[in-house]
Amino acid sequence: MIPALNIHNLRKVYRRGTVAVDDLSLSVEPGDFFGFLGPNGAGKSTTIHCVTGIATPTSGKIEVFGVDAVEQYREARALIGLSPQEFNVDVFATPVQIVDWMGGYFGIAKAERKRRIEDLLERFDLVEHRKKTFRELSGGLKRRVILARALIHKPRLLILDEPTAGVDVELRIDLWRYLGELNRDGTTILLTTHYLEEVERLCRNIAIVAKGKIVRRGPKAEFLEGDGLEAAYLGATGAKPAHIAAGAS
Amino acid sequence: MSINWIGLATIIRREITRLLRVPIQAFLAPWISALLFIFIFGYVVGPRISSIGGHRYLEFVLPGVLMLNIINAAFLQATSQVYFGRFMRYVEEALVSPLSYVEMIVGTLATVVFRTVITAVGILVIAACFGVTSLRSLDEFLFWVVIVSAIFGLLGIVIGLWAKSFEQLTVLNVFLITPLSFVGGVFNTVNMLPSWLRWLAYGNPFFYFINGLRNAMIGFNEASEFLGAGLSLGLTALLGVFVWRLYAKGYGLRE
Repeated sequence: MIPALNIHNLRKVYRRGTVAVDDLSLSVEPGDFFGFLGPNGAGKSTTIHCVTGIATPTSGKIEVFGVDAVEQYREARALIGLSPQEFNVDVFATPVQIVDWMGGYFGIAKAERKRRIEDLLERFDLVEHRKKTFRELSGGLKRRVILARALIHKPRLLILDEPTAGVDVELRIDLWRYLGELNRDGTTILLTTHYLEEVERLCRNIAIVAKGKIVRRGPKAEFLEGDGLEAAYLGATGAKPAHIAAGAS
Repeated sequence: MSINWIGLATIIRREITRLLRVPIQAFLAPWISALLFIFIFGYVVGPRISSIGGHRYLEFVLPGVLMLNIINAAFLQATSQVYFGRFMRYVEEALVSPLSYVEMIVGTLATVVFRTVITAVGILVIAACFGVTSLRSLDEFLFWVVIVSAIFGLLGIVIGLWAKSFEQLTVLNVFLITPLSFVGGVFNTVNMLPSWLRWLAYGNPFFYFINGLRNAMIGFNEASEFLGAGLSLGLTALLGVFVWRLYAKGYGLRE
């Protein structure tokens, strides 16, 4: 079966010499809900940026459903939806414009775009905020707009870079439910988050990245064995779980 | 993959929406500036200057004033479009979508041409109010408006990609565009220059742009039309390839 995402020996060195991703290889099966974890600065966002075209890989190979993300970048981009960690939008535009423009970029015809925008506005409770500019929205509403934008072209691979950072509990739970539905309907999801509860609830497979390298990967069940996900995560990233550290002192 | 026409139209639609948020800066400012030029040269300075090639001084100077505004509008539109996209990071919306680099560049240039054409039409209307209505060849006029828009749109893209601060956006305008356009024959013929200075006009590409537009409007020509057109087409092709290379490398766009 062709993986939804296949990364081979990815390396990304920034202009000033910082090695953000170092020989990283990763495979995500179609239909998976994949947790991509790691501390801040570990290389998660850089890897995502290389996959989606925001960053240029220094070396290595990236394939999305078998399509080379560098050589056949247009075909590969059409398969991916990205909800980035930071708000990369025109803050003077309205939610409708933001989602509409993205739909246009993906070549969706006007009538279909309009229908999908209405569905997404309703789905994310944005109808009453449709005429406000992005900068007038609260943090949670902004996050919803970004998610709606990522979904306008019904991507086969949805990449969510900390999608619930700064959102209230209600939206988080609602979003978890929605992402579960999307995944059941066949969308492959790659999720980065610092909320391990989110990973426990949603993901089937997990990879942990530290200092630009994958340090552990496997099915979620393996991570839950023993002291649980938090201990497995801290152990993999080199930090000691609190109870172990307390026991040692 | 075939041309993403809807994507291309979306780039244009989006940038026109952004442009129309600042109509005073985009359109009213150059119209007022042109109005002042036309008033001063038409009613204050013009009557004291004898006709040039059988044309009133205002008729002679109008194509130059028009070209100054076309160059400024094209350059400002492209730099602001590219730089603001980078500054606010919404350029990433295009980068993650299935738009080709050519579509991104053509979309930017189409918006540039939209702005310059609206600016030019406004100035022509103002000039008509002052009794200047000469337009010898509409085809040639459109050729010069579009080709010069493309050249300065492409230059604007380069600066928009290169700039790391708002101040850097003005560098080319202050140190190259404004001086070269003023010595490129906006206000004077080549013959008015001392003979030892005429090379400055003939070696200045801005002179050919202004001369081409002036020839299209009033039939006053001081250089080979083919040389001017060839130079402009060559510059457009050269800059076009250069900008495409910058996009393909992700210069100023990708991390």
